[in-house]
Amino acid sequence: MGNAVAIIGSGQTKHGRRNDVTYPDLVREAVQAALENTGLTMDDVDGVVYGSMPSMMEGVAMTHFYFADALRTVGKPMMKTETCGTTGMSLAHTGYYWIASGLADVVMVVGSEKMYEGDSQATMSTVMEPYYLRSFLAGAPGIFAMQVHEWTARYNIPSEKARDAAAKISVDHHMDALDNPHAHIKVKLTMDDVRNSRVITYPFRLWDICPNSDGACAIILASAKKAKKMCKKPAWIKGIGFCGDEYWYGDSDKVSWKCAMEAVKQAYDMAGIKNPRKELDVAEVYNPFTFVELLHYECFGFCDPGEACDLALKGVFSRGGELPCDPSGGTLCTNPIGATALIRVAEAAMQVSGLAGDHQIPGANMAFAHGLGGLSEFNGIMILGSKL
Amino acid sequence: MTKKVAVVEVAQMPGAESSDNFLDQVYRVCKEVLDKAGVSREEVGTVVSASSDVFHGGISCANAYYWDSGAGFLKSGTRQDGESLLAFQYGVMRILTGHYDTALVFGVCKGSENPPNDEITHFFTDPFYQRQIGLNETYAAALQMREYLNTYKITEEQCAGVVVKNLGNALRNPYAHIRKKVTLDEVMKSKRIMAPLKKMECAPKSEGFVALLLASEKKAKKLTNNPVWFKGFGSSMDTFYLGDRNLLKGQLENAAKRAYSMAGIKNPRKEIQLAEVTEPYAFQELLWCEDLGFCDRGKGAKFLESGATQIDGDLPVNPSGGVLSTNAYVCRGLYRLAEVVLQIKRQAGERQVDRKIKTGLAHGTHGFAGQFHAVAILGS
Repeated sequence: MGNAVAIIGSGQTKHGRRNDVTYPDLVREAVQAALENTGLTMDDVDGVVYGSMPSMMEGVAMTHFYFADALRTVGKPMMKTETCGTTGMSLAHTGYYWIASGLADVVMVVGSEKMYEGDSQATMSTVMEPYYLRSFLAGAPGIFAMQVHEWTARYNIPSEKARDAAAKISVDHHMDALDNPHAHIKVKLTMDDVRNSRVITYPFRLWDICPNSDGACAIILASAKKAKKMCKKPAWIKGIGFCGDEYWYGDSDKVSWKCAMEAVKQAYDMAGIKNPRKELDVAEVYNPFTFVELLHYECFGFCDPGEACDLALKGVFSRGGELPCDPSGGTLCTNPIGATALIRVAEAAMQVSGLAGDHQIPGANMAFAHGLGGLSEFNGIMILGSKL
Repeated sequence: MTKKVAVVEVAQMPGAESSDNFLDQVYRVCKEVLDKAGVSREEVGTVVSASSDVFHGGISCANAYYWDSGAGFLKSGTRQDGESLLAFQYGVMRILTGHYDTALVFGVCKGSENPPNDEITHFFTDPFYQRQIGLNETYAAALQMREYLNTYKITEEQCAGVVVKNLGNALRNPYAHIRKKVTLDEVMKSKRIMAPLKKMECAPKSEGFVALLLASEKKAKKLTNNPVWFKGFGSSMDTFYLGDRNLLKGQLENAAKRAYSMAGIKNPRKEIQLAEVTEPYAFQELLWCEDLGFCDRGKGAKFLESGATQIDGDLPVNPSGGVLSTNAYVCRGLYRLAEVVLQIKRQAGERQVDRKIKTGLAHGTHGFAGQFHAVAILGS
């Protein structure tokens, strides 16, 4: 399918509350980090892809104009990809298609968000149309809480068990984030800390939910010929998938979740993966909410439907487990939305290139990255391998 | 590039304000293009749309809202923001990789539910320096026009000539928003919006729904006996602050060069038979013609006066009536492309250009004084 494409490097900002920089400077920091990481200059780059969440987030519209200089795209071809929360994944896909089509050899892809400059939940409430959905969906926690209720009811998962499994995920990921120099929330938690934190939208408590973060991520993709020249350990794109569901929240089954299952099927088919739990070495699941991460394991075939809580409690998805998920700490600990899914891709690439530092999964050869977005209606996947 | 991609069919909706529901309009334009091509929704490989979260009636994540209305249900798809010609390029790319043999590409913008365009373009400014002085796209265009007039000793009347030509063409385009015969005098006497720009030299705010079905060479030959082929594409971004830019020599030349090189065009003036350019401000058509290599620098007005760009000239520019007649912000690049497709297919109705069009050019731009430009080349 098209020409082979690899990720040859990436750069991330230090994510968190970044009052020390303006928004363009935040973007510049990630771009500079990616160039330093790859040793390339902009002369090597044929084009730039950029995207973020909607303009209401920071109060500047069509930020590709404002960031043209920070993105180092002046005089260069550019694309502007935005698909809501999946933006980061759609950005990576754009870079992939640009090179796989033969129209470019080296592309830089950048995503960013500066969430402390706006009101993210207010913005997300405007993703819902004003007549039927907006008045009751109440930002992202409202949407995903309903999905969790549908899931626990469908499989008769006792609420204590779901609670414990989600708490374990929170404890594990927050522990993982301590090893990730870019992560935002760095705190050591106990199961009781999570269980006893305040309710935001039932069943989500404070430590079940991702933060607002300021941050940016840049990755550089290259054709096979260029990748071999420019990089010692390229992360090869083995599979991609994207699928969109119904906009109207009540019209789709959010448990046997078609868009997640179809997106992952596209990616597995392309990568030739039959048994994901065995064949994948690490997964970066887009996990703004602990419970929803469990539901995704089932949709992605990491386990059977209704089985995720039991396996999570056994440590199957923890570091050292059979399929470690989000060793970076994931979205749960760092969430600059426009960059978040791209960070999943960058982290997965770092894992198969053996460059993930303290949160490296030893010997990872096949990694999975995921993005989630829209009105809980988009899932996007990218699978990366250490071998062409 | 050894593989070929074709535009199989196009569909568009009128630019005039409509009381129709946005989602119905999205559905209808997509349905129309698929019906024309005889392709069912299920057969469509991938969907690439163009829209903007600011030109979108106060709903964020535009593409999430119209996803299922736009044939995307349980499909792989994506969206380009700001410039709809990028959605065309992306659709072409997706087919070139071999992942898909058809791509539905569309642009949507319900102008009637948006605030005035310049209230939105004002938010392109940075919050520290430009916003306080009220900069917006018209303001930037006025500065650019003043520089154009002064540098090349061009008169305001010469610029106003573009309005007379384009609105004249729009009279024959049933999809055009502004359809009225205007004289040079009327344009010159219309209200000054921001000196030296006058009201009739500024594009209106329109509805825009335009869709194309793209296909691989093999598939296209099955679907139509009248395909229009993708020949080349180029884009380029300029720096942000107006003061740092040469407003008379921006990035369009650069974008065009890339497109020409991909299409193997050496002499655009001779090899291109028709162009649709994005001219939200009348004088910009003259300037863009220079950037595109249709005439020498500073000679855009003379080029217009030579009659070459008239619908019966040897290089008609904006036979559709251009953006001065229909301005659905994000969609305008794709509307240009749709017109080039119809002209090449010889399906442009009353506004059909008499001569055979072998190669046509579509141009899109957005941002202050053309900060970003994209150029697509199509061939018969």
